[in-house]
Amino acid sequence: MLDAARLWRQFLGSSRLQASVMGLFATWLAFGFQAAAPATFAALDWSAYDVWLSYRAPIPVSPSLIIVTRDPASDAEFGTGPWDRAILARLLTSAHEAGALAIGLDHRLDHASPAQRGGAASDALLLEALGTASPVVIVQSADATLASDASIASHLSVAPHSDHVARTVPAASTDDTQAAPAFGVALYEAFQKQGSPIQPSLSPTGNGSLLVNYAGNGTIASFPTVPVSALWSAIEQHENDRLAEWFRGKVVVLLPNQLTEGNWLLPTGQTVASQVIHLHVLNMLLTDNRLCQTGATGRLLVTLVVASMVGWLLLRFRGTISLFLAGTAIATYGLLLLLALAAIHLVLPLALPLTAAAFVLAGTIIWSHLTAHQRLMLAEQNMLRVQQEAAAVREALVLRETRTESLQEDLAAARAAITQSTGQQEALTGAAEALRAQLAEAQAQEEEARGKLERLEQQLHSLRAATSEPAAVGDVELDRLRDECRQLGIVTRDTGLLRLYRDLKKGAKSPLTVLLLGEPGTGKELFARAVHRLSPRTGRTFIAVNMAAISPELFESELFGHTKGSFTGATADRRGYFELANHGTIFLDEIGDLRLDHQSKLLRVLQEKSFYRVGATMPTTVDVRIVAATNRDLQRGVSEGWFREDLYFRLTGLVFRLPPLRERTGDVPLLADIFLTEIAGQMGKPVPQLSNEALRSLVDHEWKGNVRELRHCLEQAIALNDGPLLSKESLRLGSGSALTAGRAKQSQMLPEPAGDAAVLNCLRQHGFDMQATAKTLGWDRSTVTQRLKGLCFQALVESNGDLAKAALAIAGDPGHLRTVELKLMDYHSHLLSVIEPFKTADEAISDCKRRFKNLPDRHFASVEALVRQHFHQV
Amino acid sequence: MLGELRGAVRVSPDDAGDRLKLAQGLYRIGDLDAALDECRIAIKLEPESAAAHLQLGVTLMAKQDGRAAAAALMDAILLDPALTQAHYSLGSVQYSLGNLSAAIQSYRRALELQPHFPDARYRLALVLKLTNRHQEAARFMEEAAVGGIPQAQFFTGNAYRNGQGVEKNPALAIRWWTMALEFGHQRAAESLSQLRRQALSPEQPERRRKEALEAFRRYREALWNHYPDAAGHDPGDSLGIALLNNSESSNGVTALFHEAFALSEPAHEELARLYESGLDSRLAQFDTRILTCFETTAADGFIPAKKALARIYGKGLGVTVDMRKAKAMLKGLPKRETTAILDEIVGR
Repeated sequence: MLDAARLWRQFLGSSRLQASVMGLFATWLAFGFQAAAPATFAALDWSAYDVWLSYRAPIPVSPSLIIVTRDPASDAEFGTGPWDRAILARLLTSAHEAGALAIGLDHRLDHASPAQRGGAASDALLLEALGTASPVVIVQSADATLASDASIASHLSVAPHSDHVARTVPAASTDDTQAAPAFGVALYEAFQKQGSPIQPSLSPTGNGSLLVNYAGNGTIASFPTVPVSALWSAIEQHENDRLAEWFRGKVVVLLPNQLTEGNWLLPTGQTVASQVIHLHVLNMLLTDNRLCQTGATGRLLVTLVVASMVGWLLLRFRGTISLFLAGTAIATYGLLLLLALAAIHLVLPLALPLTAAAFVLAGTIIWSHLTAHQRLMLAEQNMLRVQQEAAAVREALVLRETRTESLQEDLAAARAAITQSTGQQEALTGAAEALRAQLAEAQAQEEEARGKLERLEQQLHSLRAATSEPAAVGDVELDRLRDECRQLGIVTRDTGLLRLYRDLKKGAKSPLTVLLLGEPGTGKELFARAVHRLSPRTGRTFIAVNMAAISPELFESELFGHTKGSFTGATADRRGYFELANHGTIFLDEIGDLRLDHQSKLLRVLQEKSFYRVGATMPTTVDVRIVAATNRDLQRGVSEGWFREDLYFRLTGLVFRLPPLRERTGDVPLLADIFLTEIAGQMGKPVPQLSNEALRSLVDHEWKGNVRELRHCLEQAIALNDGPLLSKESLRLGSGSALTAGRAKQSQMLPEPAGDAAVLNCLRQHGFDMQATAKTLGWDRSTVTQRLKGLCFQALVESNGDLAKAALAIAGDPGHLRTVELKLMDYHSHLLSVIEPFKTADEAISDCKRRFKNLPDRHFASVEALVRQHFHQV
Repeated sequence: MLGELRGAVRVSPDDAGDRLKLAQGLYRIGDLDAALDECRIAIKLEPESAAAHLQLGVTLMAKQDGRAAAAALMDAILLDPALTQAHYSLGSVQYSLGNLSAAIQSYRRALELQPHFPDARYRLALVLKLTNRHQEAARFMEEAAVGGIPQAQFFTGNAYRNGQGVEKNPALAIRWWTMALEFGHQRAAESLSQLRRQALSPEQPERRRKEALEAFRRYREALWNHYPDAAGHDPGDSLGIALLNNSESSNGVTALFHEAFALSEPAHEELARLYESGLDSRLAQFDTRILTCFETTAADGFIPAKKALARIYGKGLGVTVDMRKAKAMLKGLPKRETTAILDEIVGR
């Protein structure tokens, strides 16, 4: 089944695909416009050709071409109207005898000669002459009275473009039952056959039309002509030398008709008869100056390519650079068009690609505006996905590391066994070898996982850069955002938080569910209210519900309401929070603390937008915007099973992670300033000032409770301080401050490198990456592992075997919880597997002593305690 | 004449016969509109007069109103199906209307009615030729040629030259062209001239030259067949000289001209001699016919004629002395011969 959403995502992600579709659409539009205004398009399309024709170096006139035309003297002799065919017959015979290779005669055999012009006798003479002077190309007529087998029929049609300019000639006439070639083409072929009878004649074109390459200005004046009167007198006087000079080895065109009929407008601006256009075709073929034109398919393809190219450039490179590149692409096409015309005589379309490009330009701008938000969302989703992958790989890394460790331990045990029992040495060597191989493999896997993690982190980094790039907000905008935040009670100067606010503002307008993540005191409710204020529901109710504070028994009643008498104490109908928040926003705080059964009830409301009051038989339907918040890791909850996955996905419409105060220490002085003013005002005291030292200690403090803790700290200080100045001591920040200060500069000055606290700190700093920690401490990796293992065992003992509690104690930061938990579980299970075969605690402990001989002694007590605890339980 | 006819009409305005005669008279002098009026009155007076309808048709033909002419002629034929002239004229009208098969039919009908009608035969042959029925056309054309139509003789000559509808025979072509030429047919003269050039021009391919020369030789040979009385001859002998020797001076001179035009050297020599001497009443001294004959063949490149003309102009025989022309005639000849002739001229 096609996943429409996935396809849409792929489409939005691929600028090539978008450009192709846009190009196709623009081409279709351009062709539509062409159909609506064909004359304009034809004029524009051929303008390059027209200009080129006027300004290029003129093509030569073939020396093999001679044209016989009427002149006033011949008109005086033979009359101004049509001539007696006997005259034509004589001209033909004479030209043939003088050595003409091919003769073209602009004459139709469409009527019988009247008696005044010689009648049947003249007709017979002409037909005889046509036979004698073969090959003769004449003009085909639809209803020919006379038939000449010896002559070649041709047509004198012209195919003007929509702007009425004659640029092409149909290669073959199609209006008659018998297709005749164009006059010029037929004459050229006849000439070729005469000139080289061995070579098969090459048809200059297939079907379709011939683009004419006009010589000179396109009139008959461009060609060498002989007047009929001069020719006639030469024939009468038997001036054979003159005749031979004119005609020998040439293509002779006899034009016995007046060249007045047909007013074809040429690209050069001249008006000529169709015969003249065909003469230019002939000359073009004789001098081999043919032109090529793109057919309908070619034009379509060229237009499509240009439009798609421009579209791709505009979509791929946004902003001014994209406009510049698109302009360059169009200019390049123009240059290509001129080059093609000059170099290979190929006429490419101009109007269609330009129009399509213009459509693409307009379309791209509209498209970018329409999809900007969706693209941003996609980028965020991608980021989330990569984060998830990174987390998974990190887990895998932990497992591999642990496996490496345990294998190393097994190897050590095996070695010990070797030294103990030489008799079993060989078998054990084999085992050791196998273990070594396994170790090598595990190490390789670990390295691989590490590499993958690095790549993913790089990808994540670049994605972050990509998402933040279009959001490169200027100072002015930052100021504006800051003011907006201030109005909503959010005090910050932090760019990251402001960006988050900007995204939140965009997302607030959509009906999507918003999930706010963050440590306690980071302002989740403040942001939830902001979502409400910024959404179209701002005039409606905002209900904030702390899920952790609702007693489990009253959960349904509180949220969904109840009907009178549904349970003891339900003395009246009561509306629940969801109903109260109808058409407004409901803020579900501490959603991570919800029990599983309550989760499923909540899920149903989110899915169906309706619920049953307690004791009601009819469902109540509400329209509520959900904003949820938690400081717990819901993803971990999903993987550990304490949070429903489907609810998790329902909630993660828009996810915002509010940064802790320690990540935006720049805001601490600002917040302190505001809080001091507020608190002093509330207490009716003058606003005290912070000493520099106090301010520094505030900035350096870790603020586990974030802004809330800061406020409490200041409240306490103001309440207990009477002076106008708050010193460092009066803040009562306690030892945490020293610890944090130390934490900041840990890498430089480790107080006691061997101390467990220091090692733990270092591990936390490096996200429990053994190798990185080992490198920082300058230790062997296994030493770090042994220390961590010891700490884990100690934490387990301290937490009375509660894995989660122990893990939290070790991890410190909730972000590392999962990693530590995995390690902890692994160490524990390893320990259990080691002691499994033993009957008594003492035996097990003695083996453990051997097994965990690298473990520091102070931690072995923990191992012992755990083993005893285990056997005690058993 | 026309006055008398007008007078007769004035005397008896209701007499269709007089009206028709006046119409014919007016047609002859080219007053077609008046002739038409008279024809129409005559038809009104006597609607059954086929002759009046025929005259109307003929007059309309002259006015180039083909369709009306065809209608009038058909009326005439309806009234008198045996009116040969009407069929003949209808044939011409049908042709000019482009209706070739109807024209053929009309000419055939005219010939059925009047078998000895060479002109109808010639016209039928032409239309048959134009419809590519060459064999039939050639047969009718030759019959018309025999009937004395010079155009038919010319076309028959063409047919023999091209082998169109008959077996190719350039000798017979020469014969027919010569006959047409006797009637003053200019195109026949051109065709003959062209064939002579083919025989004499050094630029022509050898095969074509030989073919033409052979044609002239065979033509000259065939001339003997007309005179069975003339004694047996050697190949190359001149019939004209033989006839002159037999005292058949009239036939002899005619034969000499035929032979001379057919490139016979003895005939040329004999004519050159006769030009200077004359022959009783048949040929005057310095006869222009001989001069024209020499001019014609010389223009086509016949050297004996050129030599003879050089002598005539050099010596001023019957013409004013014109050395330039004489020298021009000798241009291109071997130097020895040129010198000999010039010496002969100067030695006078």
